[in-house]
Amino acid sequence: MSRRKNGLVFFGLCIFCAGLAVVSCIIGVSDISPSTALRVLAERLLFLNSAATGVDEGTEYIIMNIRLPRVLFALVAGSGLSVCGLAFQAIFRNPLSDPYVLGVSSGASFGAALAIILGLESSLFGLSGLSFLSALVTVMLIIKIASYGNRIHTTTLLLAGISINFLISATISLMLILNQEQMDKIIFWTMGSLSYVTYGNVLTAFVAVMLGTGVVAFNARPLNAMLIDSQSATTLGVNVERTKRTILLVCTLMVAVIVAYSGVIGFIGLVVPHMVRLCMGSDNRRLIPYSIVGGMIFMLASDLLSRMLIPPSEIPVGSITALIGSPFFIFLLFNAKKRLNK
Amino acid sequence: MIEVSHLNYTAGKRKILSDISFHMKNRCFYGIVGNNGSGKTTLVRFLSGITDVPDNTIRIMGRDINSYSHKTLARHIALVPQHTSLMFDFSAHQIVLMGRMPYQKPLHADSEQDLETVRDCMTKTNTWHLRDMNVNNLSGGEFQRVIIARALAQQTPILFLDEAISNLDIHHQIEIMDLLKRINAESETCIVMILHDLNLAMQYCDELLVLKEGSLEAFGPTEEILTRENIRNIFNVDASLVDCGPGLKRHIIISRL
Repeated sequence: MSRRKNGLVFFGLCIFCAGLAVVSCIIGVSDISPSTALRVLAERLLFLNSAATGVDEGTEYIIMNIRLPRVLFALVAGSGLSVCGLAFQAIFRNPLSDPYVLGVSSGASFGAALAIILGLESSLFGLSGLSFLSALVTVMLIIKIASYGNRIHTTTLLLAGISINFLISATISLMLILNQEQMDKIIFWTMGSLSYVTYGNVLTAFVAVMLGTGVVAFNARPLNAMLIDSQSATTLGVNVERTKRTILLVCTLMVAVIVAYSGVIGFIGLVVPHMVRLCMGSDNRRLIPYSIVGGMIFMLASDLLSRMLIPPSEIPVGSITALIGSPFFIFLLFNAKKRLNK
Repeated sequence: MIEVSHLNYTAGKRKILSDISFHMKNRCFYGIVGNNGSGKTTLVRFLSGITDVPDNTIRIMGRDINSYSHKTLARHIALVPQHTSLMFDFSAHQIVLMGRMPYQKPLHADSEQDLETVRDCMTKTNTWHLRDMNVNNLSGGEFQRVIIARALAQQTPILFLDEAISNLDIHHQIEIMDLLKRINAESETCIVMILHDLNLAMQYCDELLVLKEGSLEAFGPTEEILTRENIRNIFNVDASLVDCGPGLKRHIIISRL
């Protein structure tokens, strides 16, 4: 694809994403007409008025303090999770890696559940800090299980991720039974939902995702070389071990912060980078911007579906992404099998 | 150029390399020969910085190999491995462009010079017409030439090749050997190549390094190394050496085990 055409496609995707974000803000279960919602958005965001004229406070509150942060968080979380998936696929040299499959997301959700039970959720570092620690421990454990000397064995990595996933969901169920009064909140973490996010959450997640994406983008070329194999990457001047550790650390941070506020939303990191790769090839320098926008679109669309499928009740957004993601995962497994037989 | 002193390596209880010491000069074309399992690949992995060595065991251009950063070392040493397998789709051009990584800064675009070098190296290895092909759709030989182009794009004073031409047909073998010989002569690149074909070694290598069961068996000018007695001793086969006339190297014919 020529540079010009490439730019045009990217620009088109950005416009589409922005459009979808606006649509997400003006559509919802509460009885607000899209035109009213659009007017509130325009007055508050475009003309920067302190209050929208002719709209009651409740309506304005729903648009500005419930729907808007939710949409913003979807943008941040979608891009963060798909960049993580992209980076994990490169450092593990494995097309099936993503934060959810590898158990990083469940690890983080365990920390979050623990924080709730211990009553630490109101402090910033209690919730995201514990999520981060617990996700980090999970990652270390999985790598420990899957590595033989310096090499990480792919099949064992996936199996380790899946068994850790089982272990953690069992532990969380146990925590639920022992702390029934917190059940609702914890269930929400295991299913994944964007219903309760605040502007503060958006900001924290934004900082983490910016930092993480920056580090991944900085390492785009080394990650390309690592997609070949670690020996080739080394002779091309990449400090493979250091790159792996750095990427793993920042991605775990991104996932932990996102999971701390929205719960486990799976498969985005798997679906989006692969979709983009099918169209653009494997060059990470190109994949990163497309994965960011692609992740945003995927998350916004899933969230919209989760609210609109059976109104007025809401399906957890994690179920929607899993509904799309798991068949895709199986398709990739078949593909990987074909490649091995070749 | 390359100095190795007392290199030892043991894997488990098995001694892979024992007390290897030698000195390689620039402008020279070296061949490493030896039976399977004699430690050739292990030695090259050490020399190219893939496996860690103790301090002051290997010196590259007068400096301890451990004192180089990964990136600087990649401006001095390039390696063409025996096999490269790829799970992801890259075009041949993207693969060769990776050879410019040691010279590129993060977040910077590929410079004109990078693209020029890539084009040059791909033309030399007869792969320029394959540039937009997915490397997973190339034949084994074509892919290996792409990998050789990538190593050339690193523009290093030292180039290692680990049985890099074993998968190629005879035409492309000779083409690559001629190319390497030319690069060796023009840019004073030190070329170190693991070879199995003794006749190719005879024709192209200035000096040979012979490994046997992890020890340095012999090291010296090719014609002196590849004698009837040495071949019997190293490879355990009987050979005859045939004179092919003035200006031509002798030809080795393996007669029996």
